[in-house]
Amino acid sequence: MSAERSKVTLVVDGVEVTADDGAMLVDAAKEGDVEIPVFCYEPKLGGPVGACRMCLVEIEGIPKLQTACSTPVRDGMVVYTRTDRVIESQSAVVEFLLVNHPLDCPVCDKGGECPLQDIAMGWGPGRSRMTEPKRHFRKPMPLSPLVRIDRERCILCYRCVRFSQDVAEDEQLQLLERGASSHVGTFDDHPYIAPFHGNIIELCPVGALTAEAYRFRARPWDIEDSGSVCTLCPSQCNVMFTVRDEHVQRVLARDNDDVDAGWLCDKGRFGFQMITSEERIVEPRVGGSRAGWEAALDAVAERLRSAGERTAAIVGGQTSNEEGYLIQRLLRGALGSANITSVDELEAGLARRLAAPELGAAVPDLDAAESILVVGTDPLNSIPILDLRIRRAIRQGRARLVVASERPTALDGGAEETARYAPGDAAGFLAALAAELGNRRQAGAGTPGRAADEVPGDGSDWAEGARRIAGELRPGKTVIVYGERLGRGPGGDSALASLLECARALDLATAGAGVIGVPEGANGRGLREVGCLPGAGPGFAEAPAGRGLDRIKQGLLDGELDAVVLVHADPIRNLPDGPGWAEALRRARTVIAVSAFDDASTETADIVFPAESYAEKEGTVTHPDGRLQRLRPAVPHPGNVHPIWQVLAELGARLGHETGIGSVPEAVATIAAEVPFYAGITPEEIGGRGVRWQERPAASAVAELAAVPPEQRTSRTNLDRDDSGTLTADRLRLGTYPALWADEITDRNVALRFLAPAQTVELAPSDGERLGLASGDEVEVRSNGTGVRARVALNERMRPGAVFLIEATAAENANALPAELNVEVIKP
Amino acid sequence: MPETRVLFRDIDAPGLATIQGYRDRGGYGALKRALHELEPDELLSSLEDSGLRGRGGAGFSMGKKGSFLPRGEMEKYLCCNADESEPGAFKDRELMQKNPHQLIEGCAIASLAVGATYAFVFIRGEYWEIADILDRAVGEAYDAGYLGADILDTGVRVELIVHRGAGAYICGEETALLDALEGKRGNPRLKPPFPAIQGLYGGPTLINNVETLSNVPHIVNNGADWFKGFGSEQSTGTKVVSVSGCVQRPGNYEIELGIPSREIIYGLAGGPPKGRRVKAWFPGGSSAPVLTEADLDLPYTFEDLAKAGSMLGSGSIIVADDTISIPELALRTARFYHHESCGKCTPCREGTNWTTKMLDRVVRGEATPMDLEIIAGVQEKIIGHCLCVLGDSMAMPVGSMVAKFRDEFEATIEAAREAGHGALDHSPLDRPLTTGAQAA
Repeated sequence: MSAERSKVTLVVDGVEVTADDGAMLVDAAKEGDVEIPVFCYEPKLGGPVGACRMCLVEIEGIPKLQTACSTPVRDGMVVYTRTDRVIESQSAVVEFLLVNHPLDCPVCDKGGECPLQDIAMGWGPGRSRMTEPKRHFRKPMPLSPLVRIDRERCILCYRCVRFSQDVAEDEQLQLLERGASSHVGTFDDHPYIAPFHGNIIELCPVGALTAEAYRFRARPWDIEDSGSVCTLCPSQCNVMFTVRDEHVQRVLARDNDDVDAGWLCDKGRFGFQMITSEERIVEPRVGGSRAGWEAALDAVAERLRSAGERTAAIVGGQTSNEEGYLIQRLLRGALGSANITSVDELEAGLARRLAAPELGAAVPDLDAAESILVVGTDPLNSIPILDLRIRRAIRQGRARLVVASERPTALDGGAEETARYAPGDAAGFLAALAAELGNRRQAGAGTPGRAADEVPGDGSDWAEGARRIAGELRPGKTVIVYGERLGRGPGGDSALASLLECARALDLATAGAGVIGVPEGANGRGLREVGCLPGAGPGFAEAPAGRGLDRIKQGLLDGELDAVVLVHADPIRNLPDGPGWAEALRRARTVIAVSAFDDASTETADIVFPAESYAEKEGTVTHPDGRLQRLRPAVPHPGNVHPIWQVLAELGARLGHETGIGSVPEAVATIAAEVPFYAGITPEEIGGRGVRWQERPAASAVAELAAVPPEQRTSRTNLDRDDSGTLTADRLRLGTYPALWADEITDRNVALRFLAPAQTVELAPSDGERLGLASGDEVEVRSNGTGVRARVALNERMRPGAVFLIEATAAENANALPAELNVEVIKP
Repeated sequence: MPETRVLFRDIDAPGLATIQGYRDRGGYGALKRALHELEPDELLSSLEDSGLRGRGGAGFSMGKKGSFLPRGEMEKYLCCNADESEPGAFKDRELMQKNPHQLIEGCAIASLAVGATYAFVFIRGEYWEIADILDRAVGEAYDAGYLGADILDTGVRVELIVHRGAGAYICGEETALLDALEGKRGNPRLKPPFPAIQGLYGGPTLINNVETLSNVPHIVNNGADWFKGFGSEQSTGTKVVSVSGCVQRPGNYEIELGIPSREIIYGLAGGPPKGRRVKAWFPGGSSAPVLTEADLDLPYTFEDLAKAGSMLGSGSIIVADDTISIPELALRTARFYHHESCGKCTPCREGTNWTTKMLDRVVRGEATPMDLEIIAGVQEKIIGHCLCVLGDSMAMPVGSMVAKFRDEFEATIEAAREAGHGALDHSPLDRPLTTGAQAA
């Protein structure tokens, strides 16, 4: 982040205050315990606008009152916030604001935690002289299915409008009409549907914007706040659960600029209903019928004992570090099996090199980077809060964005350059990019603005895209945000090796630059670091080679494996080749699932353990940028749910492998002792803000992470296709992607269900024309005799020859297609 | 006392609006001089020396404002504020309609002075006929090489674009004008940063009124000292004054600043109809505090009007004679600002709304003298607390009317109440809320 700012001294109400040079007066005054009331001021939204006029103060030497929210402090400034003039202006503004406010506090959800109430009490005149009729609007109107708007309560600070325009950049919310008729709305009263729109509820300083799910559920004096971390996606935003009577009623942002910059996506904000869902599994089941814990643990222990090393485990992204550590220990220690992996499986050597501390960028590095490369991921779908972060970096004019991806991303519009390679061609593209960057480095041509055509290329499609992308990247000042799914499939290892080469060619092992990998699962990074990786134990320690996802599936199908443990994992829905997984799980002698809900995979399970929800869990997770964060239980476990770390430790004990872990802090301590770069870490040190292990002294102890010699120049992917990635007319190549709302979380939260996407097949308009398809047509996407029904969406930013389907939809799941690149799109 | 015509010289001569007619009278000579004989800094200092003050309302020294723009190579802009929307003001209209090239030449010279490559004329949407005239004239100027990528083969580039507003008073506020020009909702911006530092598209921007820019060619032709020869020390030059209301000869008159106001109202505009007397007058558009008959001998200058508690503003005199009800005038004034308030800042949005409702009750006899205290108090709470001057523009005249004509307000309340207008079955609650447009 920015260098230490110099300090200035000023006097506020007679108190000498020292503040950062350039700080706004309203913030500086807080250093002297002086509160200046504000409504419209919210630094998260960008620069001050000075609209509400609540913060007017008197500054010596300036005749007119000044807005403290927009006045930067200067050395020697003398400020008065309680002179007669200022008091008069403050009470005037409150009186004006209340002219049209209904004062329905007794029935308003905001009552008791309302800035307008507080400021009216603290700075208002106490009574109004207004006797005229007030402004009336229909109320409360749905602004979206999740948010209601009460325009009578609105004080027109227009924070919500600024959020929509300047932060989310969806530009849906507008101020309509003008003057006293101004009101917040959308064009033609369309519902405000956007992935971050829930933030406006929290921004609203009055009760004008309320959450459908929280209306009339609680008053501030009924509730307790409980801070934790949202583990519904890898963003791992810091949240505050609002708990009433042991139920989560609301999720608010717990601003942490190093992680989320104070925003939440709607999945994190409204995805809490599933915690209290009646569909939850709340007690162990053996053979389909309810069982006590003793019986269930005995049954599992017996089956695992007999399966022994013929056991495998798949860990899903919501699993905590402690759970992940204990499950790998159960397999490796108690059962002698090396078949442990997570849905974010990477080749062990690559995983080790990608985790090298000097190569890792922190989220705030995006703010200061000169160029940002987003490759192989669409942050909006996979790590939504980074989408906002990257937008902010571009908006502030510092970073130039380039996007390289199979499928169009939400960030394309702000990108200087985009390159679109065909599905499955990431390895080829990244090899070309690495070669291009390597050439530039050798030619000393890494300087910004160097014309791309000065570097010789081989004229192929990839080389052209690579040249455009490379031309925008600033050596030593670039952050690469890459999708770890680049590592999937036959060319995956080669793709990630090329990515490492790109990073080396760009000198990214320097402060302020680096890479951030976007996993599929929320704790993908942490799980690998605690040893949920075939061939690497905790801390990437050498470990006997084990089976990865594909070989586990194959082992189950072939009968080489007897038992599989699924922790927060539903391979049938979420992994490629769902039908293959379904068959594998059916054939497995024993399937043990830890799951909060029944799904396709638990249907095949012999024994099911109820899983904790993230609001019940205690433990730690690791952010994609290496920040360890603490999960703290906000609500008690429902029914007969037990902490999973405890269940796993108990299982180990029954199998004769005592871990000595009797509490979460003990688990953390054990992990810290085994993972060299977590050495000495404690829950206290992690605290409420988390700590990046790369920034701790212990990180230096893992120089060997980076010291692993880089593999020699990776050859291009040897997939059976022509090098240029161009596709012939009669072949359409299928790509799949995780859409933000296509997952179990959407299905399990009533409020979010309307967002669940129906299967859609995206095509370039030229392909649509050739095949006689128009947007909205019902078609079937067929491959090897299997088909998925979908609706056509023509997208002009698509690469011709490619088609895309959504993964993990509740119906017509793209994962139901066999892992086959070429498909047909036909009208039934 | 006759008019002193500089901007209005030959204003009604046929063909003045064409480039030929303008050139026949020496037009574009100043631009040539500015291009060939003067450095930009000399231009700026001569404008500053002339004492030319902004003719749009604020009366800030044009040369000084121009000198605030940073020097050096960067994209800078000139904006001509032609959003003349103040009730009572119609001088820019005539200047553009009858002598558009004078403005174009002024814009070109001002662009040279500050180093702007793009000049925009932001003209109010209702002036569509004038915008057509301007467009035609701009086309002629381009064809003649006075505008474009290489004006008069000097390698200097000045592009001029006429942009039509959509019809909002607030877009005459300079920063709202910039937002509107950028394609956004026309809302004022927070100052600082001032447009001279960070204006249109974030670049340094000089914004001046049509009349101000129209003065520029004359100053370049005749020199600062010639210009200073007109007017008073602090108000130099001539001024086109729009006179309207209760006068026999309403219209635009170009006067030398400093002549007695009575000369304008009575001498030039003929005063009120026979048998009537001036009761109140706005010396500088509807946003200026009103003056009374006793103030008629004030010299018409920025400083004398300010001393009298009002302002010269855009130089638009509106006269109310003794047949006019001041409370109704106050209501009409408040309604206008209520309708035009952008709604961004609290005191203006709510203050204009509240004031209008109270004055409405006064006029209908549903108020009490106590309400006059509140009306006066509300105006005080608006003044100086708003984001831009629109709120003050209502509060100052309305406040001055209540202060100076308190007896008439009280009499109006009493008379209307006695006439039965204030009966309970006509409670204001029964009436639908009206916006200014509906009410007017």
